[in-house]
Amino acid sequence: MNRELNWPTIRLLIVKDWQLFQKQLAAYLLAAFVALAFLGLAKPWAFYIGSLLLIIILVAVACFAISTSLLTERKEQTLAFVMSLPVSPLDFTVAKLVGNLATFLVPFVIIGLCTALVIFSTPLPNGLMVLTTLVFAHILLAYCVSLAVAMRIESEGWNTFVMIASMVMINPFLMAIGQLHGVSGVARGDAITWSGPVLAILSAQLVLSLSCLAFAAWWNGRKPAFY
Amino acid sequence: MNAAFAIAGVSKRYPQFALQDITLTLPEGQVMGLVGVNGAGKSTLLRLLTGLAAPDAGQVEVLGQRLPEAQVAAKRRIGFASEDMRLYRGQTLAWHIELVRRIYPEWDSAYAASLMRRFDLRADQPTGGFSHGQRVKALLLLCLARRPQLLLLDEPTTGLDPVARAEVLESLAEVLRDERRSVLFSSHNTHDVEQLADTITFLHGGRLLASADKERFLGDWRRVLCLGDAPDALSTWPELAQVRNAGRQIELKVRRWDDALPERLAHVGLDVQRIDPMGLEDIFVTTVRAGGAA
Repeated sequence: MNRELNWPTIRLLIVKDWQLFQKQLAAYLLAAFVALAFLGLAKPWAFYIGSLLLIIILVAVACFAISTSLLTERKEQTLAFVMSLPVSPLDFTVAKLVGNLATFLVPFVIIGLCTALVIFSTPLPNGLMVLTTLVFAHILLAYCVSLAVAMRIESEGWNTFVMIASMVMINPFLMAIGQLHGVSGVARGDAITWSGPVLAILSAQLVLSLSCLAFAAWWNGRKPAFY
Repeated sequence: MNAAFAIAGVSKRYPQFALQDITLTLPEGQVMGLVGVNGAGKSTLLRLLTGLAAPDAGQVEVLGQRLPEAQVAAKRRIGFASEDMRLYRGQTLAWHIELVRRIYPEWDSAYAASLMRRFDLRADQPTGGFSHGQRVKALLLLCLARRPQLLLLDEPTTGLDPVARAEVLESLAEVLRDERRSVLFSSHNTHDVEQLADTITFLHGGRLLASADKERFLGDWRRVLCLGDAPDALSTWPELAQVRNAGRQIELKVRRWDDALPERLAHVGLDVQRIDPMGLEDIFVTTVRAGGAA
């Protein structure tokens, strides 16, 4: 089995995915800026609306990237067109992983940086960065779990379940980390303190996220054929 | 002569279906028509030939490349389009052309433009607005303009109106003028197969029923109408695929015609009234019903 990657075609497939979704991603970014504008007002009501809107947008970006690039491609049978091109299952896996990560991470990172900018440049307490980082890391983890499942399982029902379940877990996650003094206490002050438990949670989130991606890459990359 | 593809002892099992022990070769420059009902295994066979599926047993070699291992190299020289293949709805045909053109260095822009005119397609139209016929023609354009050495088409004419079907068949006929290019196309429509194919293959229930050149297929089969009382042993004659009685009238479908047959029939008391050649559809249906080789 030839394991050499066909990079020129992989690059084209990544660009293709980016071209397919760039308009929708721009719309999500625009909505995120509106949410950040609410946050920046630093009023309790505006903070509530802004943070809720921001979380909804991040979840939507994560679900959009997976559902359009993987699930819709299967459902609308455009996958057969891509597979007929000179790509191996490994090339396809790499293109899908990188393309999907780019589709998600570009708006995710931009929104993350803009959120940090809003926190630091408005009367919002700087300590909020700790809570914000944990929330973003949770969404990243939920995205990676959903992506790994979508690459492994074709069932639309299971994929929808995993996407919704992993994203909805943000609610109990927020409640749980709200009990930690290293989060709730710090969020109200101006000092950014990365306590031991916070760093442990962040590390676990990142390790799990990377593990999911590695598993998806390994599992799909070892297939000799698409069917 | 080089083989465009050669498959030997290939089996592929799915939970609801199995393709079993297929051995088939297509010489370079030939056109093979694959005929079978839904679920016969045509699409599975085409998937194996593009490397999209790996066989559970047997060997698949396409354009000198072993599949699925060398599928990237093989797919560079294969044009594959299937009836269930879709284009990206929100993107134009021009966008698709650009994507494929950048992948295939042999892309022939002039030929693509001429096909666009012949098929009456608009490059700036999003493919989501295409009719079924336009979609099939767009897929064909994307396959043909890359100048493939082997064209694999799964049901290219299914669901097309007569005009679109004629356009598609004409384009295929044009491809076939180049003697180095080979085509395998599956179809329910035996008329299309009869029109284009040099070789005809019947597939049914995941098994290869028959594969032979068209002239042999059509030349071997006859429909014979007789009058008389059919002896019981008639249905065991190996050259007869089907024996049907309607009173004293007997219809025989002969799978291996021999000029001496009328005399043999007369010898058992049957008076031959008519001998007609058979069309491919009739041959196919009779072969499937007989459940054996044509």
